[in-house]
Amino acid sequence: MTGQMRGSCAIVGMGLSEQGVRLGVNPRELRATALERALADAGIERGAIDGYIHCGGNREDLRYLGLSPNFSFVIQSGGATPSVAILTAIGMIESGQAEMVACAYGQAPSTEMAGGGGYGAFGYGYASLYGLLGAAGAHAFHARRHMHLYGTTSQHLGAVAVTQRQYASVRPGTLGYGKPITLEDHQASPMITDPFRRLDCTRDTDGGIIVLVTTAERARSLRDDPIYILGGGTGHNISNWHHGLVYENHDDIAPAKARAFAMAGMDLSDIDMIQFYDPFTISPIMQLEAFGFVPEGHGGPFYAEGGAGPDGPMPVNTGGGQLSGFYATGFTGLIEGVTQLRGEAGAGQLKKAETCLVTGHGWNGGVQNTWSHATLILGNSK
Amino acid sequence: MTDDTGLLSAIRQVGGDDVDLPFWQAAREGRFLVHRCGVCQRSYWPASLCTLHGKADMHWVEASGRGEVYTYTIVHHAYTPAMRDKTPFVVAVVKLEEGPFFHTNILDCPPDAVTVGLPVEVAIDPAGEGLTLPKFRPA
Repeated sequence: MTGQMRGSCAIVGMGLSEQGVRLGVNPRELRATALERALADAGIERGAIDGYIHCGGNREDLRYLGLSPNFSFVIQSGGATPSVAILTAIGMIESGQAEMVACAYGQAPSTEMAGGGGYGAFGYGYASLYGLLGAAGAHAFHARRHMHLYGTTSQHLGAVAVTQRQYASVRPGTLGYGKPITLEDHQASPMITDPFRRLDCTRDTDGGIIVLVTTAERARSLRDDPIYILGGGTGHNISNWHHGLVYENHDDIAPAKARAFAMAGMDLSDIDMIQFYDPFTISPIMQLEAFGFVPEGHGGPFYAEGGAGPDGPMPVNTGGGQLSGFYATGFTGLIEGVTQLRGEAGAGQLKKAETCLVTGHGWNGGVQNTWSHATLILGNSK
Repeated sequence: MTDDTGLLSAIRQVGGDDVDLPFWQAAREGRFLVHRCGVCQRSYWPASLCTLHGKADMHWVEASGRGEVYTYTIVHHAYTPAMRDKTPFVVAVVKLEEGPFFHTNILDCPPDAVTVGLPVEVAIDPAGEGLTLPKFRPA
């Protein structure tokens, strides 16, 4: 069953609004802009969209978008939502409910939070009474534990920040464009919540994104470079919570990895690049280890040696990621994966870009930084 | 005389759950509880159903109050105006002797002296209003 799903559907269009800090544009308008660009990118009329999945927002006002799909619903799985939306779109297509599904995102957290605001889902329940506010502190627990277990250092975390800024510095449209940083810059940036300095943390940006998913057959009729969904998997960190292993596991990657790679019929050596969900610098390090790309505890040194850079053995977060690119939850990595696989990454285009691993995680559970995890494997041939 | 209405209000305000009320009632009286499955004796926090036995025999019991720092962060950035005169301070995850994790502050210890593995014990200073927060100090 799972093997038959490999490449059954493909991403045939994507559209992005401007992605940036305090754009002052409301989220629906950001989606509307992204939608027009996605339609143009795919070369289809808006009437072709017969399914709509809104990622992490409220019920969509389809009147304003000028759409008339067969279904429209909201899903929320935190930063895993975009990858879960792609898998959900495949399910709706495979069950005959639609042929062209729009997976939509549009949020303006940096505009809405300007001048103050609540921490909402990042209040962490009772832990907030002890001063745990914002996502950084909860992720810092992972970083501190990792440092204790493996000797990971602030310089290792800094190597992640520097590497991702290197990618962003040559990518127009990112926060880090034209602004490379050094390890010294990282070490000099103010401490936020130890061990995280400011340059270990992603900042919120506003933006809208639409990704169009259709059948492989329809995709090939529309363009010569559809990006196929070769594999997908999900995991939930509640199992690690139950077993007291939640601080050793940033995400619950094992079950997601197993399903995604089984579906794709691939193994780690078949992956050309990775787009990890990276709200903080510890995140790519722990995910590299959890997937088995490097042994446990070797993620920091791998970065320090340039392993995740453009000329390294496994390029990671090649558009700057969330840390230095823009924060569009799990769409940041998904968009970059499609961009590289299409060969549209300009000065940052990788020489070998035929397959890509994409992850997303989030939807904190009161006391824990992330519950949900989703993995996708994308490829530019079926 | 107890005022559960006030406790429930404080629990809900912070995004907690009514099922944890007995924990906060006890904390107000200086006692530290965990939620336990009577079938397998496994302990939980916050209130949970046993992963093996569901709701067969979940009840609150007094814990030892002992544990060790499993991981922690030192908060330097004042996220709210009220935090400005408190930073830097430690938010720690204590692994209780009974098993569950408990988020807390570490008293009587400079932030730089907190380490992973530090043995700690509960210290409850009953508050006049709102939730009484169990904190920990080096054992």
